[in-house]
This record gives sequence, structure tokens and C-alpha cells, in this order.
Amino acid sequence: MASISARRLSKELTEIKNEGCPVGINLVKADDFSTWLFTIEVMGESLYQGEKYTLQFRFDSSYPISSPAVQFVVGDGHTSPVHPHVYSNGHICASILGNEWSPVLSVVAVCVTLQSMLASCKKKERPPDNDRYVRNAPDNPKKTRFHYDDDTV
Amino acid sequence: MSRRTQTPPRVPTVNDLRVKLCYICREEENYDAPPEDPPRAWTHPCTCTLVAHESCLLRWIQTSQGDPARAPNALKCPQCGTKYELVSYRPRILRLLGLGNAVLQRIGRLLTLCGAAGVVAVFASGIYIVLTAYGAWAVRQFLGEEMFNLLLTDNPSNWPWTTFINLPSIPLSLIAGRFQTAALIPTLVPILLVWPPAPPIRYRLTRSTSADTDLRFPPAPARDALWTWPPTPAVFGFVIVPLVRVVYRRVRAKVQTWVLGAQPPSARLGRPAGAGAGAGGAAGGAGANDGWDGWPIVIRIRAHVVGEEGGQPPPPPPPQPQQQVVQVQQGVQAPGLVHVHNGEGEGEGEQPQEGPQPPAAVQGDEQLPDQDQALAAAEQQISISASSLGRRVGGALLIPWISNRMGALLLSLSKHSDTLRRFLAVRPAGTGAGAGSGTVGWPYGVAPGEWEGLGPVRQVRKALGMVWAASWRGTRTWAEADPVWWRNAIGLGLFVVAKDCVELLHLYLALRELESRHVRSRDFAGVDIRELDLVPGFPGPRKPSTTSVGVGAAQVENHTHNTHGGQGQGRARSLPRGM
Repeated sequence: MASISARRLSKELTEIKNEGCPVGINLVKADDFSTWLFTIEVMGESLYQGEKYTLQFRFDSSYPISSPAVQFVVGDGHTSPVHPHVYSNGHICASILGNEWSPVLSVVAVCVTLQSMLASCKKKERPPDNDRYVRNAPDNPKKTRFHYDDDTV
Repeated sequence: MSRRTQTPPRVPTVNDLRVKLCYICREEENYDAPPEDPPRAWTHPCTCTLVAHESCLLRWIQTSQGDPARAPNALKCPQCGTKYELVSYRPRILRLLGLGNAVLQRIGRLLTLCGAAGVVAVFASGIYIVLTAYGAWAVRQFLGEEMFNLLLTDNPSNWPWTTFINLPSIPLSLIAGRFQTAALIPTLVPILLVWPPAPPIRYRLTRSTSADTDLRFPPAPARDALWTWPPTPAVFGFVIVPLVRVVYRRVRAKVQTWVLGAQPPSARLGRPAGAGAGAGGAAGGAGANDGWDGWPIVIRIRAHVVGEEGGQPPPPPPPQPQQQVVQVQQGVQAPGLVHVHNGEGEGEGEQPQEGPQPPAAVQGDEQLPDQDQALAAAEQQISISASSLGRRVGGALLIPWISNRMGALLLSLSKHSDTLRRFLAVRPAGTGAGAGSGTVGWPYGVAPGEWEGLGPVRQVRKALGMVWAASWRGTRTWAEADPVWWRNAIGLGLFVVAKDCVELLHLYLALRELESRHVRSRDFAGVDIRELDLVPGFPGPRKPSTTSVGVGAAQVENHTHNTHGGQGQGRARSLPRGM
């Protein structure tokens, strides 16, 4: 019996393949149940018009009880969007990826949330502590204990 | 849940759903499909449409509760926010154990704090013990073995509680004194003032009745003399020491000025090397600064300022004009601050100085600034002002030992001089209060029992009288013991004088060395004589005549240089500084 995480991810994958992703979100790679890649772009009027970013999901075996590790891919021609909650190394400070994660969310739901986070941005800027954080950031953003101070995310 | 199913219009439950989709694992179960093997229970824990396997949900709750950041959301539906209700077997004992655990947790945290505080306390008490031990040693050194055994004894458990404040404060005050002023003696005042009023421990040890623990102020000694010799510690600390200090500083400043031509810059604390603009600084460092400094150059500029004369003019030795200069100088330096500037609080006479200075002042003007500069250089050379921290602290902490050694020296000298012995009030061996016999007299002015017989008014009068007597005439204990402290204090004073003399000598010699400096001039041996522009009369080969004009010019220049070399110092001196 495959693990719960593999079973659930295969169901999510089937769903994506059957129903397609929401507008602006595309599945790039989902060869296994540990790392998935999506492209994400903001539709309509926004500061990020015409820009396309790559999102990386990493799952551990206790998904969906534990949240996926989600970040923007940086390097190899990819950059992270300039946003008050996105660090230049691609890490995202969003409560749904941390203490407000719930199994009711899914990979697609996370994509949509992040898409709307970008869409609602009013000023392109890095988080105030970007440099300090990036210097010491762990590889896995889940190991960071973010302080969520903005409810608009 | 079961209650609802029983209400008449039947409300559907999770078991009535056609397709159940676990919101956690996304597994589905059709109502008509055969149940899993083994069957898994379903639950609908909230008020929205989400359903889940009970096992999945319990696992989620359990995981979330383990994470402090997520625990607040663990028992809430992520969609409708309804609180999940857990039904479980929680006997009272479990709750009690949980409570006990929480209490232990809190105690543990408290212990952690206490531990940290304990480490700090151990560290601090270590320092405290060292300070106290030093203080005891200092007292023993300064007051002598006999007084130490009378007042404190070797056993700290006999010490009164005040000792544990007084002793550690001794090294601290010694060090602090070193950083405030150059004076050493005042730092010993704490030693002298603390113990005289305290009843000697030795006395209390020899008796053990409860009346002895009654702390009353000490009394007059048997004698009724108005003046005792040696002076009592209180008189010495409050009157003699400050007086001697003032006088000594003045004398020292005068001697320095006489020997060196000016006071060394380090004696004028805070005075910048520039013109007399350092008035504020000088006033700030008033403790050690008596304001006698030769900076007449400032006067010439600011002579019209009305000086508020503070200190007494330096007595006879300096010539009259110089005196005036100094007076104005003081006034100009710190108008309004003069009383601070003069530190010791002598009378302030108004002595306005106006108009042009007598020519003599201008004359002095031509030497002093340069002298001053040289002095500063000399001082720097022997680095009096820049002594290291260790040297200062170490020097301060050695004071008790030094005074002890000096006292011993005086004692051995007194064997040859009757006058000295009388001055030091050395007791013949064996007659001291505590000398061997171990009998210590009742140290109070009233006999035991007499006090209770007095009325309140008379008690107060008696007490005041005892305080007065104690401070003026000292207690019997102090009066009868060999006054080691007295010769030690005198010895320390002599040491300070000697040390200052050595410093002054050093400074004087360094200054002389600087002033006597010359650069030795060599002849032109080894230089090709044709490359030199020489005077026409010089025998030997000379340069081609084409350059003769240039030669002449160079000669003139050269000549000026030579003469200038001789007068150089005079010229430089005559340049007024600060203008």
C-alpha cells in the first residue's frame, strides 16, 4: 500500500490532468511524489504583468498532514518575484505554508493563493530583512519560522 | 451527534452521504461499494460539508498539537472554523498528572532561572569575598595587628554586620580615589572612620551576657583632656587630613613652579595644550587643580576681563608681577566657576584686574609658554600622565602595605629618637589595651545598669555627649592601644611626599635633558669641496666663476641660517602662542 502522501498526490495529479490548472498556472513537472514544478503568472492588470515565475513544491511522506515546502525557483534563468513577502532566494513568507496550513488545502489551492498574493501587491519591493535572511536562510523554507504580520496574504 | 439523530425530523449524518471524500487523504468511499477492509470510521466534526476519516483527522490533530505554532488551529475546522470536540477517556488521575506535569514544567523553568541567577551570584560573591579579604588585610596592615585583633579578630564569624559592608568598600574606595585625584591619603579615611565608633569585638568576646550586645555609643575615655595625642581617628580624618592636603598641594605646586618654571601639565587636569581656552576643563578637574599655572599669554589678550579672584595669591617667593599674572589668570579662566576651580573652598575676595599689564608680565610671557611646552614633552617622555591602568590599580591596592612598611620604618627610627617616639605616641611594650593580657575594659561611658537609671532627656544628653567624646577624644580602646594607625598614616604621608619628590626630580632631569639638547655639527670631511659654496677667503679649489652670483646669494642664505640657529630658541619663544 502506497503511503498516504503518494495516494493523495496521485489523486491531486489526476485531478489536475483531468480538469486542468486554473488560468495562469501550469504544471511543468510531476514525475514523482517528492518534487513538483509549476509556472505561475498573474492574469490581468498587475505589477507582475507578463512575468512568469516557477514554483517548486517539495513533499515529505507525511503530506498532507505536514505542509509542502513551497518556494520560487531562483537560478537557471528563473528569478523570484519582487514582493514584500518573497525573499530574493525564492522563499515565501505566507502563513498558509506555515502555521495555517491545513490538509484541506491542495497544491492547486496553494498556487492560486500565491497567484492572488502577487496580484494584490501594490508595491514591488523586497522584504525589509531580505539581505539578513538570505544570508542565513536554510535550504528548506519550512525550517524557517516566519513571523506572519500581514493578513492580506 | 447521537442526540441529533434522535430528533424527529431525521437529520442526515456522515453515514447518509452517498460519496464520502476525506478532506485529508482524499480517499473516497461510495455508499454502495463494499467498505474497506478493515473498515475505517468516518466523521463529520464541524458545521460545514467537510468530512474525514476519523483516523486521518486524529492524526492531523495530534500532529498539529505537537507543533506550538499550529496548536491553536489544531482543533478547528480549516473551512468553517468550528471547534472540534474530542471525546476521550480522561480520568481524573490523568488530569491530575497533566496538571502536575504543568506545575513541574513551571518549576523547572523557575529552576533554570534560579540556576542562571545562582551562577551570577556565585561569581559576584567570589568577587565580594576577595574584596572583603583584601579589606581585612588592609585594616590589619594599616591599624596594626593589635587593633585588628581588638576590632575584628581573625574569625569572620565575630565580625559585626557592618564589617561586611565596610571591608569590601576599602579596595573600591582606594581604586576610585586613584582615578579621581592624585591624592592618596583621603582614601584611607574610610578605614579610620568606620571602626572607632564600633565596640571592639574582643570585648564582646570576653563577656557573654546579653547586655553586651546592646549597641550604645562609645564614651569618653577616662581622661578629660581637651586635646589628646595622637589625635583621634575622627579628628584626623575630618580635620587634619583635608587640611594637610590643601596645604601640601599648594606647597607642591609652588615647589614645582619653582623647580620647573611652571606646573607640569598633568597637574592641571583637563587643560588642552592649546591656548588658555581650557578654562572649563581646568575647572572640571578642579579636584587636583589648584589653578596655579603660568599662562600669562592669555592675560595679555583678555586682561580687560574683570577677574573674580578666588584663591589666595601665591605667597612671597614669586616676584610681584608674576603674582598679578596668576591672579588674573585664575579669574579669566573660569569666571563664575572660580570657587569650583579652587576646589578647596577658600575665601573668595573680589580683586578686579583691569588695564594694561605691567611690562614685567610681558617679559615673563616670553619664557613660560615654551617652558610649558617643554614640560609637557618631558612629562610625556617619562609618561607620568599616561600611566597604565594596572599601575594605577596596583599602586592603589598597595597603599595599606606601603603605609604599614613606612609605619614600621618610623617605629624602628623612633628607637633612636625620643622626640619621634613622643610624636608617634609609641607605647612602651606591654602596656597597650590588648597587650597580651586579654582583659579589655568596659568601653562605654556608662557602667552597665547606670543607663537604665537615667531619664529619657538625660539619656539623650548622655548619648550626644558620648558621640562628641568619641569623635573628639576617641574611645578608650583607641586611646589605650598602640596607635599603629597614626604612625602608618604619617608614614604614608611621608611616602607620598617622597614619591612626589622623586617624580619631580625625574621630571626636572627630563626637562633639563630636553633643554640641553643640541644637534652635533660635523665638518665636511668626505664631501667634495668643489660642490660647496664656500666663503671667498676659504683656501683651496672652488667652483667655476660662472656661478659666482648664485654663490653669493647662497652664502647670504647660509649665513642667515647659521645665525638663526643660535637664536632659534629665543625667536621661537618670543612667538606668542594662541595668537
